[in-house]
Amino acid sequence: MSDQSQPSLLDELPGDLLIWVLIISELLVFGAGLAAFLAMRMTDPAGFAEAQSHLHRTGAALNTVVLITSGYLAALAPRYRMGTRRRAARIALISSALLGAVFLVIKGIEYADKAAQGISFETHDFFMFYYLLTGFHAAHVIAGIVVLLLVAWRDSVDNIEMGAAFWHMVDLIWVLLFPIIYLLA
Amino acid sequence: MSVMDKLDLTRAWLALLGLSVLSTVAAAAISAGFDARVAGVIVMALALMKARLILSQYLGLADAPSWRRGFNAALIVFVLIALGLYLIPSP
Repeated sequence: MSDQSQPSLLDELPGDLLIWVLIISELLVFGAGLAAFLAMRMTDPAGFAEAQSHLHRTGAALNTVVLITSGYLAALAPRYRMGTRRRAARIALISSALLGAVFLVIKGIEYADKAAQGISFETHDFFMFYYLLTGFHAAHVIAGIVVLLLVAWRDSVDNIEMGAAFWHMVDLIWVLLFPIIYLLA
Repeated sequence: MSVMDKLDLTRAWLALLGLSVLSTVAAAAISAGFDARVAGVIVMALALMKARLILSQYLGLADAPSWRRGFNAALIVFVLIALGLYLIPSP
């Protein structure tokens, strides 16, 4: 009899199990929020379409490019670190965090534009979901920037892998949130 | 990091950029009068492809096929629910 058992399914997961628990939890929360948004839309499709026409799709599309590029840099970081290119890993992480800040600036411009139009949380159900979902996502972007900078400082391979995975989760949520809030007319 | 590893990531990044451009084109087509239901299906299919790329290449599930299949199945269910909710009120 051998003590060498078959590797478990959990062993197959890249990185730390806890970060995957977090990723799955966050996907479920945002998935439920987006489903609730679409369910609410069924009660007033014309009102939702009119409200959506006030959104700035170009800015949001630009933010998609920013976040995807930031994710690319974050994905490079653990690979650089494993290859002992410590400085390159740090530069990739800090660049990724800077692009996260660019995302927030564009988001801030978008929110300021809505405020200038007199659009608030209470204007329409669409905007309640819009502020709730994009605001909650922006809060994750802020947390992600802090995490990226922390792991650039405390740059063990495990830390960088976990930080990058958190950032990819933020990226993943955005690629699902963006089309539903901004594009589905 | 091997050259191939970086190449895979770069390909994934370029594919994500391309898919994002296509999403924006599909949304612009809706504004131009293209059938919103068809464009909506295209937009969500593109979102599904982007999510799968992030999971497999950025998050490394390409090396964990069982988990990749599980996530892909969950994503497909989510996109189908979203499309169902989106298409129901369409005329």
